[in-house]
Amino acid sequence: MAEAPGALDGIRVLDLASGSFGYAGRLLSGFGAEVVKVEPPDGDPVRSWPPFLDDEPHPERGARHLHLGAGKRGITIDLESEPGRRLLRRLVREADVLVESFDPGYLAGLGLSYDDLLEERPDLVMASVTHFGQDGPYAQYRGAEIVSVALGGYLKLTGDPDREPVKPYDDLTVGQAALHAAVAILSGIFHRDATGEGDLFDVSAVDAALFLLGGPAQTYYFDDEVTMRTGTRLLHPNPRFPYPSTLRPCKDGYIHAHQNYRHPDLLAVLLEDPSVDDLMDMPMGNADEIDRRMDAWLANHDKFEVVRRAQELRLPFTEVLTPVETVKDPHLEDRGFFLEVEHPEAGTVRQPGPAAFMTGSPWRSGRAPLLGEHNGEVLADWLGLEGPEIAALRAEGALG
Amino acid sequence: MTGPLTDIRILELTTAVAGPVAGAVLADMGADVVKIEQPSARGRATSIGGPPPREGAPDRPYNRVPFYNELHRGKRHVAIDLARTEGRELYLELVADADVVVENFSPRVMGNLKIDYPDLKLVKPDIILISMPAFGKTGPYADRGSYGPGIDAMSGLSHLTGYVDRPPGKPANFYCDQNAGLTAAFAAMAAVRHRNRTGEGQYIELSMLEGELQVLAPALIDAAMNGREQMRLGNRHAWLAPHGIYRCTGDDAWVALVVENDEQWAHLCTAIERPELANDARLATTEGRHEHQDEIDALIEQWTSQRDHHEAQQLLQAAGVPAGAVLDVAEVHGDAHLQHRGSLEFREHPEMGRFPHTRTAWRSRRGNHGVSGPGPTYGDGTDHVLRTLLGYSEAKAAEVESAGIVNRNPLPG
Repeated sequence: MAEAPGALDGIRVLDLASGSFGYAGRLLSGFGAEVVKVEPPDGDPVRSWPPFLDDEPHPERGARHLHLGAGKRGITIDLESEPGRRLLRRLVREADVLVESFDPGYLAGLGLSYDDLLEERPDLVMASVTHFGQDGPYAQYRGAEIVSVALGGYLKLTGDPDREPVKPYDDLTVGQAALHAAVAILSGIFHRDATGEGDLFDVSAVDAALFLLGGPAQTYYFDDEVTMRTGTRLLHPNPRFPYPSTLRPCKDGYIHAHQNYRHPDLLAVLLEDPSVDDLMDMPMGNADEIDRRMDAWLANHDKFEVVRRAQELRLPFTEVLTPVETVKDPHLEDRGFFLEVEHPEAGTVRQPGPAAFMTGSPWRSGRAPLLGEHNGEVLADWLGLEGPEIAALRAEGALG
Repeated sequence: MTGPLTDIRILELTTAVAGPVAGAVLADMGADVVKIEQPSARGRATSIGGPPPREGAPDRPYNRVPFYNELHRGKRHVAIDLARTEGRELYLELVADADVVVENFSPRVMGNLKIDYPDLKLVKPDIILISMPAFGKTGPYADRGSYGPGIDAMSGLSHLTGYVDRPPGKPANFYCDQNAGLTAAFAAMAAVRHRNRTGEGQYIELSMLEGELQVLAPALIDAAMNGREQMRLGNRHAWLAPHGIYRCTGDDAWVALVVENDEQWAHLCTAIERPELANDARLATTEGRHEHQDEIDALIEQWTSQRDHHEAQQLLQAAGVPAGAVLDVAEVHGDAHLQHRGSLEFREHPEMGRFPHTRTAWRSRRGNHGVSGPGPTYGDGTDHVLRTLLGYSEAKAAEVESAGIVNRNPLPG
């Protein structure tokens, strides 16, 4: 505990966000905020999500929980009970921030809306992060990652032109929504510190998917052109636009091939094929032929060799790595990126380190809490409660 | 500009997408962001191809690049020749009165220009500098160049995205860049708060790869703890079923849906008019449905293929099944929900007219959300920088301009 304070030292966060929405709290805890994960008595459902250590389902041994819970303390509160709701209100008095991801209207139905909570903490910064946001035609829809990424226009742009669209890996837009929420929360802290006022942020994963779109939203508006999926190519309608930017097979796997925009002649050097230069007057127009020339050479070279040679020439090629390769990657090893975190139930967990290296206010690694692990500790720290009072809360069912 | 970050001054020495996103998000929140470019229009030229000039506006195509203006909304623009001593000195004068510098040049540029952290610290001891290298400033790959898709390749995102029966894929467009840009904006704010409390600035090194590895954590921890190599699943899910996109009437039209529990399964059976499936013991559990998902998918598609994707969405949601049409960008523009939320925010650009910006994903009760202004035209911040920020006299400003240290019009290049 002798670590220097993080940049967000002293900010108290009640984290009621569930599943992959928990990344907002993880980012806040990583930057040094004091984050308390508030779970229902049977735990955040994320605890039941595979994969688990040794593939044995166990609420303390899920990979996602171990990552997203890191650096948080954990308490259980039964919000379905009156004593539980009273306890949450008392904790809100001591909190700067509350982040939650319940279905819209759920907390209000329990008498725990933002306005209700302002009675306890008039300058509370709160973020509600959901798939669709708090109001609008879809607000009462059932949400899921595949639904948000579809409605935000991002799914249809992923995949090969001759096949169905394909969903990007995992909970990518939920994770982005959580990241937007974390940014919004800090803006709320700045606003509060300047004015004394709190704020309520309504964050949506569909909007987060839309934010990922980049240029197509504008291209459609100005050129009336509906951008379509292009496989692994970065496509451009102008045949003179640089190419390649794509994935190609090589001798032992795949590489990402990318042009050096200032020196299109370097590709011919790498491929030991001077005639490739003739294709560079219209690189995008000659994309298929460029792929064929690359494939012929790549078939005889392994991926690490290809990338080493290309990067020596200043061609920004990279290897397509797998998770097993990434966790052993010598570059990440040299940087000490992965952290070995001790966990009482999961043992030594090798998990991703800092989202950013803050040289003056270090990343707080920490581990995920056991279910209800810090019930007594948090009630003592935040509310000054002692043994008998905590026992009374337990007895009346506030903690479940 | 107003907002929570009013009075915070950001200098942005950025290229491509990730760095500009960081500055755009900070500008959205009211920071005073100055985008500094070298005196050519190269950064814009690679994507010139915007609409024709609007009536009465000058024909300056480099001011009409749609994606550039999206990425630089709410900022001012100034071109400074940093390679010249006078340009560097002018830049350092700006740093002396700035809070944060954001840069994402290739790894050696800042050092070569002698404007790296130690140089900045000499003129502004509590400056905050954020570098956004692809892989970090240390380690064997520190000197590697890469754009976003190359980072998606190294993170494992490519390996885990795509069809089961095809090579690795790629998430659309710029996942890596948007993620790094937002993370950088978060780090910048955290560092400003830290400085306000302690008086200390700092250097922040944000490796785009390491930012992206946060989302890969479940697969990475699985690899480290179980030795498992996860594979891409197409549109399927590791343990839930059904989960996918299903063909609807029309060309390339699909609806996405998932069943997360037994209750939703019963809803789905009703919605697709196959109530008897709800009584099929083989399909009564998540495990059973996962095992028989080929069969289930075929039954779902029998139903969806008779319907428009919007209608399918409505019917499925009305029955309590998580579902949504797979929208293309034209449909996104017309979607009633996104319009209700104002997810596309229109701003008046001086040379392009009405311009749609994609908002950050939040709305604030106090109105602290949305886009603070349109993209900048080339050199539109020159007076602000020379006269307001640096306090130069009219004569001195003119001298700096005639010497070509700052430019109001791009040089060829």
